[in-house]
Amino acid sequence: MLSAKGAFRRKTLALLSLCAAATVLASPLSAQTIKIGAPLALTGGLADEGKKQAIAYDMWLKRINAAGGISVGGKKMKVELVQYDYQTNEQRAQQLAEKLIVDDKVDFLLAPFGSGHTKVVAGVAERYGVPVMATSASSESIFNQGYKYMFGVLAPNGGIVENLTKLVAKQNPKVKKVAILGREDVFPKAMATSMAELAPKVGMEVVSTEFYPVGALDLATPISKIKALAPDWIYVTGYSKDLVLARKQMADLGVKAPVITMITGPAYKEFIDALGPLAEGVTSASWWHHSAQFKGNDPWGTTKAFYDEFVKREKSDPDYVHAAAAAALVALQKGIEKAGTLDKAKVRDALASLDVTTFYGPIKFSANGMNAGSELPIIQVQKSRIAVLYPDRVKQGTLQPVK
Amino acid sequence: MSALYAQTLANGLMLGALYACIAVGFSLVWGVLNVINMLHGSFIILGGYLAYFAWTHFQVPPFVSIFGVAALLYLLGYLIQYGLINRVIARPVLTTLTLTFGLDMILYNFMNLAFTATPRRVTLDLGRLEIAGVTLPMDRVWAMLLALAMTAMLFAVLRSSRIGRAIVAVRMDRDAAALMGVRVNKVYAVTFGLGALMAGACGALLSSVFPITTSVTGLFLGKAFVICVIGGLGTVPGALVGGLALGLVESFAGQWFGPVNAILAGFLLMLVLLVVRPTGLMGRKGYE
Amino acid sequence: MKQRTGLILFLLWVLVLAAMPWMASNYAVKIATFLAMYGTLALSWNFIGGYTGYPSFATAAFVGLGAYTGAIAQNAGWMLPAAWLAGAIVTATFAALLGLVILRMKGHYFAIGSIAIVEVLSLVASSWSGMTGGGEGLNVKFLPGGPEYIGRVFLYTMLTLMVAAFIATVLVDRGRLGFGLRCIQQNEDAADMVGIDVTRYKIYAFVLSAVFCGAVGAAYASWVAYISPGDSFSILLTLKVPVMVLLGGPGTVFGPVLGSAAFVLMEETIWAKFLDYHQAILGLVIVLLIFFLPGGLLRLLSRKAAA
Repeated sequence: MLSAKGAFRRKTLALLSLCAAATVLASPLSAQTIKIGAPLALTGGLADEGKKQAIAYDMWLKRINAAGGISVGGKKMKVELVQYDYQTNEQRAQQLAEKLIVDDKVDFLLAPFGSGHTKVVAGVAERYGVPVMATSASSESIFNQGYKYMFGVLAPNGGIVENLTKLVAKQNPKVKKVAILGREDVFPKAMATSMAELAPKVGMEVVSTEFYPVGALDLATPISKIKALAPDWIYVTGYSKDLVLARKQMADLGVKAPVITMITGPAYKEFIDALGPLAEGVTSASWWHHSAQFKGNDPWGTTKAFYDEFVKREKSDPDYVHAAAAAALVALQKGIEKAGTLDKAKVRDALASLDVTTFYGPIKFSANGMNAGSELPIIQVQKSRIAVLYPDRVKQGTLQPVK
Repeated sequence: MSALYAQTLANGLMLGALYACIAVGFSLVWGVLNVINMLHGSFIILGGYLAYFAWTHFQVPPFVSIFGVAALLYLLGYLIQYGLINRVIARPVLTTLTLTFGLDMILYNFMNLAFTATPRRVTLDLGRLEIAGVTLPMDRVWAMLLALAMTAMLFAVLRSSRIGRAIVAVRMDRDAAALMGVRVNKVYAVTFGLGALMAGACGALLSSVFPITTSVTGLFLGKAFVICVIGGLGTVPGALVGGLALGLVESFAGQWFGPVNAILAGFLLMLVLLVVRPTGLMGRKGYE
Repeated sequence: MKQRTGLILFLLWVLVLAAMPWMASNYAVKIATFLAMYGTLALSWNFIGGYTGYPSFATAAFVGLGAYTGAIAQNAGWMLPAAWLAGAIVTATFAALLGLVILRMKGHYFAIGSIAIVEVLSLVASSWSGMTGGGEGLNVKFLPGGPEYIGRVFLYTMLTLMVAAFIATVLVDRGRLGFGLRCIQQNEDAADMVGIDVTRYKIYAFVLSAVFCGAVGAAYASWVAYISPGDSFSILLTLKVPVMVLLGGPGTVFGPVLGSAAFVLMEETIWAKFLDYHQAILGLVIVLLIFFLPGGLLRLLSRKAAA
């Protein structure tokens, strides 16, 4: 009997605490702040990327609040960022999106890093009609669910690959045979598939397209196969761990090609650190590089200002994840300013018709919610440093064959 | 095309030797203690990190730091077994498994905080060897030889040292060994320590071959499962045969059916063996 | 008497969860839905892991299989309940066939065999792009309706599943099957000798441990509107559910419900307070559980009652 009471007390207590938590958080907070919610992957598989987002969010937040906040209909409103760790766990991402909207009453949401997780969070936001800014989703398949409230600052994969194929075709006309090795995962797979479609359009032949699984420990077999085909261009997609392994095993097995592209390996500093001399000559495409200067009407004003602040703060170079995360907030800020209200539907409409240039570059969302983007940079590791090959106005070098 | 097959064979054998190295400590612990050590993957990565830091901070190459790493991991393993696992060793399978899972969560959390998930690698590239059209990466060759040497050493220790004979005795019959005056708890702790030692040494070896990151701990653990089941438990030759078999299967299946299905083939081989020959390819009743 | 109070408490628990939409915010509704979902999974695992004593780690395999079956059926134009039922039936059939093979193994071999099934299905989902969308994942039709409505639909779906799993548990616990399963857990050879059809009983238990998971997976897929191999066949889920049952009390009727509720609420509070260490703290909880709570919370409560 007593045991039963104990269990009952336990359950009621738990329940009461739940209700209490809900009511406390539901009480109206200062009406003068704009609340933005961010589920972040601070632990788990995507922790590194999640932390990058957190840095960029914080940089923007400090800047905007130092300037008095976002001006909404002529009145400056301070911004508050509500962040939670979703542990790189899909169920948590979904749960936290709901918590942020319902309990924390955020006005807007930022999507997490993971592509699938972005989609799940956007699904929740869509039901509530809360605009959600995707900072790192670039695959059309993320945006194909028809969500009206999701906007992404990265340009679609297709554009980035197209620039690359054109550049290689122009600067190294001897490249004819392309071998593609992609990771069986949302973004890397889309990048590999885009390549398989676009390479033939510049007169190249795709000699092999293979996909390796998410949990691949060793890539000797597909790389040996590529060696036998003697391609002129080896194009690999994946995340840093996979790409470091792939580049290392290519060297191990004596696989050579004049052009080696790794998406998006060299865009990350850790890729170059982990490879050392082997990183030399690897090309990649990215969504942003700090040497592509833009002037814009945003808290930084210029790409250089963003870069300088970042370097001062973190003692290293920012990559596209940082920039895109900050840009997502800038876009949201512009949308709010344009709408002149915090009304979610109106901000959504303002975002849909936004057309601005920022430190990150131009931001203009197309019908599916993705940034149209232009001048996406192509980079190559030259003398252990990143050299920009494209766009022409900021180019620092030409395509060098890999030794 | 035959050159490609020779290369696939070589790839499979080299990968297989590394696999054997991944699994041997895990197999020893499972066989002697009847414990599935969920910490094994994290032990390997911890060894890898220690070797990495020895390299970046003190310029000590992994082939040297491996001894220190192995000693540290032995100590850690010994203490975990002596202080914690020994207390519940007689409980059902699920209990010890859950305990090591809990311990792994703790170790993993602290490794993540200390090292972050950034992939790191000892940038030591030793070139390659070409024999009759087959390319052999030198660091893998060395890692393979060292892995084989370590495995042989473990074999020798179990065969001829006093503690080794005690371990074997405990594996064959716990109660009889206890009656004969073997201090079973100490033997367990030494065995678990040896398992951790092998994992740490393996991690140090792999630090120049594979990128080291906390996100692959589960991957190593999963490989250890498969290898042990294929080769048979608790025997040093079992881990070796299991590792080589898995390396070859993944290599050739990857050649024919693509990399995704290669991993699938490894798992299927394991499931088939579980059903038709649960003692594994090398399994038999006794030890060694 | 004790059974009856337990039943009343369970009913109260269900009523409280069911009343959430009227008492608290949508977020509380979501937590209640997860409580019901994990309750169902824990009750399911209890059949094979608790009563029968087979350390199964196939939970995520069943959930994922249910999710993909449900999603594919729903995208083919099936009604929601039909798609969910399909998820349950396909998963149960799969478990029956699989059980024929892997229930012949014991102890660690069974544990490893069952966890391998999760990996195998995940790889199949990755490589069978035509059917599953491969690594890019699969869109499921986005259900129309506001958040309150959707929240209720899935709360009641998961609650129904939990109640169904609970009723099944009570029936098994009191019936011949439960007796047989307990015998198998104690001593399988002896159970065989006293005339229990061991193989068949084990398969029953395995199918029972799968069928509700399949339905949960299918309903979950409709809920999130997007599934992918890695998140559907989650190794973490497959390890978490047994821990929940161990926490509550394995091989009992109420243990899984208590354990899953305690675990979810604990996670909720731990993760809110200790951002960097929540995983270590969960690990610590598991370790303490093993040392100080071998029979689970339920045993602790009844021991207190006896004292």
